[in-house]
Amino acid sequence: MIRILSICGNGMGTSTIIKIKVKGICKKLGIDVVVDSCSAGEAASFTSNTDLIITTPEWGKMIRYPEGTVLITLVNLMDEKTLTDKLVNTVKENFPDEIN
Amino acid sequence: MDTLNFIFTQILGEAYILLALVTLIGYIALKEPLSKAIAGSIKTAVGVLVLGVGSSKLTSTFGGLLDALNDKFGMTGVLLDTYSTMVATNDKLGEFVTWTVYTMLGAFIINIILVALRKYTKIRAVFLTGNVMLIQTAISTFIVYNFLHTSMLVTVLIASSITALYWGIMSTLLIKPVKEISGGADFTIGHQQMLGSLIAYKIAPKIGNKDDDIERIKLPNWLSIFQDNVVASSIVLLFFVTILMVALGKETVTTMAGGTNWIIYIVKTGLTLAVSLYILLTGVRMFVSELMYSFQGISEKILPGAVVAVDCAAVFGFAPKAVLLGFVGGAIGMIFGVVGLIVVGSPILIIPGFIPMFFDNAVIGIFANKRGGWKATLIITFCSGIIQVVGSGLAASALGINAWQGSFDWATIWLGIIYIFKCIGSFLGIC
Repeated sequence: MIRILSICGNGMGTSTIIKIKVKGICKKLGIDVVVDSCSAGEAASFTSNTDLIITTPEWGKMIRYPEGTVLITLVNLMDEKTLTDKLVNTVKENFPDEIN
Repeated sequence: MDTLNFIFTQILGEAYILLALVTLIGYIALKEPLSKAIAGSIKTAVGVLVLGVGSSKLTSTFGGLLDALNDKFGMTGVLLDTYSTMVATNDKLGEFVTWTVYTMLGAFIINIILVALRKYTKIRAVFLTGNVMLIQTAISTFIVYNFLHTSMLVTVLIASSITALYWGIMSTLLIKPVKEISGGADFTIGHQQMLGSLIAYKIAPKIGNKDDDIERIKLPNWLSIFQDNVVASSIVLLFFVTILMVALGKETVTTMAGGTNWIIYIVKTGLTLAVSLYILLTGVRMFVSELMYSFQGISEKILPGAVVAVDCAAVFGFAPKAVLLGFVGGAIGMIFGVVGLIVVGSPILIIPGFIPMFFDNAVIGIFANKRGGWKATLIITFCSGIIQVVGSGLAASALGINAWQGSFDWATIWLGIIYIFKCIGSFLGIC
């Protein structure tokens, strides 16, 4: 199981959209995930229990996360194709046991 | 009869149970495993109750401040904040508060019907921003009930029809502008400043030059702290609470503070307001993503290929600097509006909150910058800030409540709707 965290400024709009998209994509691909969302201000208290962070490029530059945690950044949150490609590549590269 | 009574008053009369049931049914309709459905509905119930904790904290902290303001100057304070407005209108609805949940479901269904009939209605967007849907339907339910005193069925029908039309029409009108700013993305915004964004999109080319794109200019680094919601809402609230308390005078504040030093008391009150909003938001976040998951799944099943209208944050990534510039322009405009109202002797004192200040003008700023560069962005968001303050003052006084959304559409379109209902109500001799 991969633990995913989506992050944005308010912990509401962007991160919820990402969360719902990621849940849907992973369900289709049969990848077992738990997805949480939070605001950048709270991120530090979540990142130690996270395998994969998804956020926008601006937040990607600002948040700190432990070594070993993987980061994906997205400009167009609604672009399901790019998100799917990035997710699949990242999972294949970093969590090969989770995908077949 | 006792069983029926139990179901309607005890089970369906409690918002947290009702919303948990909606989540449960949504998950089952989407053929999710039962364990996930139960987990989702528990999170919904807990989230709604957390929201309640934040609400009562907000009411108690803010109430004392408003009373003092009224005693000293005879002024009514109005806080511009989305969630506080929902708290205020839900309080006024009292035992009828669950009507708001039926309005939300009703508006969602009507929105889907309007899109299904798009050949005739021209409406193409399905509104899926759960947090905004929750707030807007709660407030529209109150507007209808406040002026017409209608029964549950009639109130819910009228409120959900108006809200669904607002959602469908405004978010459909933004499909093309969003495509332009995002470079071809196929979605639209479903939020609280859709008219403002549309106006900015139309008039920005006349005010500025789109070659002055702010995205090519470097902004001071310290501005980025405003992107963190906890920091930003604390700063904004602390700023306005300090001004308010200083106006009340050391003596009054010392009495309010009890044994605490008056300066420390000011700091604590400002931060406590931010805390209340933070608790509120945590509750909303917990259940809104569950609700949105169901809404999105169901609309995809019924209407595959419809354009989805989502939170305005979805466009922030395309123009991160315009977001900050819009916030600055809007904040200056809002302060200007607040001072202006005091100068003309308004009996209402507006206390701007962070959400309408940031989110509205950030979005409006993105559209203005794309079409008219940074000059147009500053001018348009400055004007939008003033409109937000003045329009919200009028709306809050027409409804007699101490909080208002503050968002652009709620200071314009919905101000008009409020006055229409007021006229109908007084014509029928109801209010």
